[in-house]
Amino acid sequence: MDILTQLVINGIIAGAIYTLIALGFNLIYGATKFFNIAHGVFAAIGGYTVFFFFKLSGVSLVPSILAGVLLAGIAGMLSDRLIFLPLRRKRGSSVIMLVASLGLFTALQSVIAIMFSNRFQTLTDIFNIQKTYQIFSGVITQIHIVIIITVISLTIGLFLMLNRTKFGKAVKAISDDEEVARIIGIDTDRVIGYVFFIGSAIAGLGGILIGFDTGIMPTMGMGLLLKGVIASIVGGVGNIYGSVCGGLLLGFVENFGVWKISGEWKDAIAFGLLIIFLLFRPQGVLGK
Amino acid sequence: MKIEIRNLTKRFDGVTAVNNLSLTLEGGRITGIVGPNGSGKTTLVNLLSGFLPIDGGTVIIDDTITVKKIQPHKIKSYGITRTFQDIRLFEQMSVLDNILVVLTERNLWCALFECHRPEHMQKAEEVLRMIDLWDKRDEPASNLSYGQRKLLEIGRAVSMEARVYLFDEPFAGLFPGMAEIVESILRQLRSQGCAVVLIEHDMDLIRGLTDYVFVLDSGVLLAEGRPHEVLQDRKVVEAYIGN
Ligand SMILES: Nc1ncnc2c1ncn2[C@@H]1O[C@H](COP(=O)(O)OP(=O)(O)O)[C@@H](O)[C@H]1O
Ligand SMILES: [Mg+2]
Repeated sequence: MDILTQLVINGIIAGAIYTLIALGFNLIYGATKFFNIAHGVFAAIGGYTVFFFFKLSGVSLVPSILAGVLLAGIAGMLSDRLIFLPLRRKRGSSVIMLVASLGLFTALQSVIAIMFSNRFQTLTDIFNIQKTYQIFSGVITQIHIVIIITVISLTIGLFLMLNRTKFGKAVKAISDDEEVARIIGIDTDRVIGYVFFIGSAIAGLGGILIGFDTGIMPTMGMGLLLKGVIASIVGGVGNIYGSVCGGLLLGFVENFGVWKISGEWKDAIAFGLLIIFLLFRPQGVLGK
Repeated sequence: MKIEIRNLTKRFDGVTAVNNLSLTLEGGRITGIVGPNGSGKTTLVNLLSGFLPIDGGTVIIDDTITVKKIQPHKIKSYGITRTFQDIRLFEQMSVLDNILVVLTERNLWCALFECHRPEHMQKAEEVLRMIDLWDKRDEPASNLSYGQRKLLEIGRAVSMEARVYLFDEPFAGLFPGMAEIVESILRQLRSQGCAVVLIEHDMDLIRGLTDYVFVLDSGVLLAEGRPHEVLQDRKVVEAYIGN
């Protein structure tokens, strides 16, 4: 096994996971212009839904995953209906929205902990004895391949949705200028509701995939969110393609950064990258 | 088409930007709104298009709908559209999409697929040719020059096929060729029976284009009438010179 090849593979895997979180985060940020901290908890909701159905209740894999994605999406959409939409109507500032989302994050995370305990859980054992594949001189596991393929398909899917559908045009119009979008007849509240559904469902899928890769904990959302936010800022906040760019860059920098030093430095390196970007290129690689 | 404004009031902390204002906008007319900077012209447009909540007074649309609160998402159904003194386009979109986005039908099927019917494309082409931007249709809106952006915003408003058009300084900063295009658009809307509101500082344009003029000063209606008469009114002249 050649270390360099393996680092590239690890960088791509980490990058794919960060991209997964950043995609939905950026989609929602684009439409609403606030940092939705609660975004992380929808990953946990996805993971725990699969845990409940698949591991505890013996429902088969595919329906469990569908339920997880759907529930995360619905929870996201409800969070908009019940909290963020009323705040938008009252013209709440983005700081107020951020604080509200932090509150929602904490509340939902506690509910998950109450229902399923704070313990680390695995979703399945089937991937423990999973197949690994040789790529050049590195190895990659089956679940990692699934993650990478999922991220590529989702990115292409989102690209097509934003550029080839009228719904996508409405989303773009809203992220450019919500007030004007409204007076030309776009039902902005509804479109933003769907954006929350899509973004949160993607986060849910992210939580599920991570659950199958390593495992789940009620507190998993915050770490994921922070990495997703760093990926967004590094790539360009509100920019869907920036998510991929930022996610991959973060994944690579983190993994190459710990080439010669202990892996515990990963988070420090990630925040170092964030600070460098905030200081020298706050608009991110791709800009708005 | 008629919009009656009764005792409309808008306060910002300290300033009463629109003060107990009553006026009527009629279809088939270009109504000029003039007044020194800060006299409340833009605020009036913001109130009528739901961009700012109304503090007092009512708006009566076509003698039938009486509203004390204008919600932005209802603007389209009232047949009202507007442009902005500081141009607001959809920057991420192409020139063509800036027009097509308002021609969209919003049922679920159409939301999922690009189904601009031929008449939408035809309408978009007609509008873009009128404002001389058809050749630039695939460029991002952010690439346009100031004047072209102004025209595109006017084109977007025209595509709405509204009945009330609120134009906030549409001529400001335009070269003569472009100004002519805007003039002909305003005249055309008037001939279609629309109520056209023109906020403008150039008194020659006001004289040449408008049928009726309201003069605002500090949010209050200072004078109204036919442009030739009103613009000679001593009070009006003083309000302008005073600033
Ligand atoms: N959003 C706002 N917040 C506070 N004050 C405002 C706002 N909009 C306008 N004003 C004030 O209201 C007055 C009228 O402004 P405006 O309607 O823009 O005038 P005009 O368009 O005639 O130049 C000005 O004193 C301006 O400072
Ligand atoms: Mg103004």
